[in-house]
Amino acid sequence: MKIILLGAAYVAIGVALTCVVLFADPYTQYVMNLVLSSIVVAIGLNIVLGFAGLLSFAHSAFMGIGAYATAILMARLQLPYVLALPLAGLVSATVGVCVGLPAVRVRGLYLALVTIACLYFFSWVFVHWDTVTNGSNGMSVPTPAFAGIPLESDEQKFYLLLPIAALMLWLAAVLMKSRLGRSFVMVRDAELAAQTCGINVMTTRALAFGISAFYAGVGGGMFAMSVSFIDPHSFGMLQMVTQFGMVLIGGISSLAGSLIGATLLTILPEFLREFRGAEEILYGFLMIVFIIFMPDGIAGFLRRRGWIGATDLGGRAKRVRPGRSGGDPSVPAQSRLAAEMKKWVAK
Amino acid sequence: MDLPVYIVVGISNGTLYALMALGLVLLYKTQNFVPFVNGEFFTAGAFAALTVFKVFALPYWAAICVAVLCGAAIGFICERAVIRPLANSHHLSLVMATVGASILLQGVARIHWGDDIYSIPPIMSGMSVDLGGVPIALQNLIIVVAAVVLMAALYVFFSFTRIGKQVKAVSQSLVGAQIIGINPNRVYRTTWMLSGAIGAMAGVLAAPFTLLYPDMGSEILMKGFAAAILGGLTSIPGALVGGLIIGISEMLIGGYINTVFIKISAFVIIMLVLLVKPQGLFGTNTIGRV
Repeated sequence: MKIILLGAAYVAIGVALTCVVLFADPYTQYVMNLVLSSIVVAIGLNIVLGFAGLLSFAHSAFMGIGAYATAILMARLQLPYVLALPLAGLVSATVGVCVGLPAVRVRGLYLALVTIACLYFFSWVFVHWDTVTNGSNGMSVPTPAFAGIPLESDEQKFYLLLPIAALMLWLAAVLMKSRLGRSFVMVRDAELAAQTCGINVMTTRALAFGISAFYAGVGGGMFAMSVSFIDPHSFGMLQMVTQFGMVLIGGISSLAGSLIGATLLTILPEFLREFRGAEEILYGFLMIVFIIFMPDGIAGFLRRRGWIGATDLGGRAKRVRPGRSGGDPSVPAQSRLAAEMKKWVAK
Repeated sequence: MDLPVYIVVGISNGTLYALMALGLVLLYKTQNFVPFVNGEFFTAGAFAALTVFKVFALPYWAAICVAVLCGAAIGFICERAVIRPLANSHHLSLVMATVGASILLQGVARIHWGDDIYSIPPIMSGMSVDLGGVPIALQNLIIVVAAVVLMAALYVFFSFTRIGKQVKAVSQSLVGAQIIGINPNRVYRTTWMLSGAIGAMAGVLAAPFTLLYPDMGSEILMKGFAAAILGGLTSIPGALVGGLIIGISEMLIGGYINTVFIKISAFVIIMLVLLVKPQGLFGTNTIGRV
């Protein structure tokens, strides 16, 4: 019975997606493109916030760096979009590692403060480095072309963005199941045990920062292409809060969660354009409510009901609690071991 | 010639940063996390003053009283609605919840005041005191005097009142305080209300100088962070010294190098201090948690 329901749900989602793609008006199409770019950015934030457990407020700045890098590489160096996008991701990842390397020395709250200082610093750079970014006037992004065909309409762009987003999602899923991805989780849950297992904590943290900044940069490049015009205000505080909302509401430490959260929080504000302040109130309210009442987000709810697979590496809320033997089956063996060792060390 | 003027204005700005830092340090000492909502206390204070002036046309001291009450009320609501349910959870959840609260309050402010920019007429326009050849605007003097009075009041509060001593006890050892029968929730409520009142006080003092808009708080919050971090996050005198250093250095950078750097000097200071000497100038605790 459950399987039939689940199958029906997936079919319904598929049909809905097809309808949107086939019959969407340009505006809906534009929002769909934004959804794709937000998904990539949200995955990036989730890697560092959820899987690696590091509080980073700088991701909207990394997204901005990716967006500006894409636009500048295309406009100044005439690079094709498919080349400019990964390069922009690399630029953003380099900055991310530069921020992350010293930042792994300072942890927790101090990391939060360093990264929020970075966010403000880069917002300032976007505004004041006029010769490159054109200051607060913003800059237009050249029309991308694929195999010689200029992609002018939102629909054409969609068919370039969709495979990129799918590729990034697949890569993230592979990465999180790999040795590196699991070591992120272990460093988050039991740093000491991870060290005894031979994991280099510093490198792992810096890598987590770099990879998530790469995602943010690519997402920023996709965003730049969807909107065709970027200005510093797109990459400030509100963007940061939106991304946090996506990760927290969708589900922390869950790729499916990033997908759900990014989709919801990109579509919802489109209905709130007329009401002043409604967007901020909604984000703030939802964030607080989800942190208090549903800390593992929508994905966690779906996972508990068995509607999505339990393969995601359990979030902060699902950490093995002392006194519960065996632990949570969704937490991988390595991290369960880590929890056991942590308990043992504490004795 | 300009140097004394820069230093005077720097001290006056620095006092405001020190007040913000004080609110942050109070909360950090008792609950061991950095709240991101304090900028909204500042905004609340400024807008309360605006309302008192524009709508009710009351004098300045009334504005201060209303603003402080308003800030304390918002601090109380924050503690009760957002922090209390999360009191025992991981500090990352607390930080993110305060980010949520901050953006929520900004949205609430935007409903009424929109995206416009408001200003409050200076209380003592044009009046200045001559101190050894250096003209000091009376408003700057008011800020410093009010801050000094507030700090003296806080000193008395922490040293001589029962609840003040309880706050100190909780900040030293939560478990120890609970063992001797202190209710931590009461202490948290007190510190949040105090923090809100201090933030609003800074807001009402700064209001005649700055422009008023719903997200005005985030900038001064960063300055407060910078001051608190420079002072070591756990030290109240550190917060004061940190605020003054940042206020003065910012004016000197603006005056002698370029005014565009005023805006980022605080962020650069945050990054430098945390990377070079994370415990700050007066900090005592170690920052690593295993």
